[in-house]
Amino acid sequence: MKVALTGLRWTARTVVIVLLVMLGSTLLVRFAPGYLSDAREMDSRYAAAARSELSTEAASSHSIPHMILSEIRGSLRGDFGTSRQFDVPVSELIGPRLAVSGGLLLRGIGLGWLLALSAALISTAGKNPSFFWQAPATLLLAVPTAALATFCLLANSGGPVLVMALLLAARDFKFLNHALRRGWLEPHVLQARAQGLGPVRLLLGHLVPALAPQLGALASLSLVTALSALVPVEVIFNVPGLGELAWNAALNRDLPVLLAVVMLMAVAVTCSGMAVPHGADWESA
Amino acid sequence: MKIRRPILWLLVSLIVAASAVVSVPGASYAHQDREATLASASLRHPAGTDALGRDRLVRVAVAFLLSLAGAAAAAALTTAAAAGVGTLAAFGRPSMGWTMMLACDVFLALPWMFLLMMVRSALPLTTTPARSAAITFFVLAALGWPASARAVYRGATQLKSSEWMLYARATGLNGASIVRHVIPNLLPLLVPQFLISVPAFVMAEANLGALGLGVGEPLPSWGGMLFELNNSPMLMQTRWVYFPVVLLVLMLLLLEGIAAQA
Repeated sequence: MKVALTGLRWTARTVVIVLLVMLGSTLLVRFAPGYLSDAREMDSRYAAAARSELSTEAASSHSIPHMILSEIRGSLRGDFGTSRQFDVPVSELIGPRLAVSGGLLLRGIGLGWLLALSAALISTAGKNPSFFWQAPATLLLAVPTAALATFCLLANSGGPVLVMALLLAARDFKFLNHALRRGWLEPHVLQARAQGLGPVRLLLGHLVPALAPQLGALASLSLVTALSALVPVEVIFNVPGLGELAWNAALNRDLPVLLAVVMLMAVAVTCSGMAVPHGADWESA
Repeated sequence: MKIRRPILWLLVSLIVAASAVVSVPGASYAHQDREATLASASLRHPAGTDALGRDRLVRVAVAFLLSLAGAAAAAALTTAAAAGVGTLAAFGRPSMGWTMMLACDVFLALPWMFLLMMVRSALPLTTTPARSAAITFFVLAALGWPASARAVYRGATQLKSSEWMLYARATGLNGASIVRHVIPNLLPLLVPQFLISVPAFVMAEANLGALGLGVGEPLPSWGGMLFELNNSPMLMQTRWVYFPVVLLVLMLLLLEGIAAQA
């Protein structure tokens, strides 16, 4: 009963957050001073057509409640409305790109965690914090995602997955290194080590279970970091995913597409936060 | 809070050097030397020129100062907003606290980059470069407060249940006086929040600019200079095109070094 109630509360919270994200995003974009402007207005060949399209848009978006209702109706129908730029249902644009971005995120997060965990395990094996492992992580954290992606592209080595993985590995390593270093010095772990328990059994039997809530929080945080890196990585590597679609929609002021992508992100982040059992760990990660 | 002196001195030296470069008579980030486009380093242009013949050293110096000043101003705004929201949520009515934390949740449910893109792209096409810079950093400040506000809220909630606060309230301290006592006690929390926000905003501006959504040309910015790296013929002609990236990474390392020690 208690579990059902907690689940219900979390679901209600997610729905409220997604609705507020939708409402806020619609109002934010609609009232932005440049909403009713188009780059084509500057080209005499397309100016007349662009102005006519914009006046139609202005008339249709005159009533804010009507605009929000039509967005909600589109979401409930499952097609998320019609794209202003491509004139097709938004779901048709999002569907194939969701698989591309999902694959990229999964591989990036997986490889990032593998790198971070391996580096943290090797680094914590020594007595003192290892400069050899700390320095690359610190340097990677100081390189903007766009710069890292551009360098990989220019050097013709590594693709979007590697960039995403390096970015996440650098962030996660700092946390894992700190947590593992503390974990190895816990009294029960020291006792187990003194009794001759092997490092693998120590890790799987004692360290990982103790760190599980923090690892859950870190996984959730990794998803947020990866989603933020999605746009520069996809745009620079020309990957036809959600990040690139959102960037295109932002440049062309395609509100329905932008709203749909933003909503998907809100659902993903809120759901990943639900998977974390302790709120405090999520905040302190 | 103890900041290692070499890091601070190096940052101050960079600020002084950038200010000196900018204040040299005749130094202009927009002036085009048409006879020296994509030039390599020389006495006239110590870090070469870009594709339009503009002095790279002056542009890098302006970008450095602009980025640092913009990020610091945005971080100050964010920290002030976080202090206000966090304190009000902790000491106000429970319904007010709940509403404010829900607002934080809504902002935190969205990755920064998407929110930034959405807001920045919805600006008029005719925005001036100076205004685009101001708007970019203002948007960063407007979207960056929720994480700090949550941290302040937790700190303020702990303060609320501390013994001296209970005693102060029992002796009749009213709302405004409570805030006057709370804010100085929150400073050890607010200063690190400010210092963490500065490199985060510098990096966000660079990423946004690299996507063509940052500070408008001809005003130089880190993002705009990262955008230059997409021009392959330019990269073949001069290696000085990497100079801004090296300096940006150095600046971020210094700022993160300071934030890590706070």
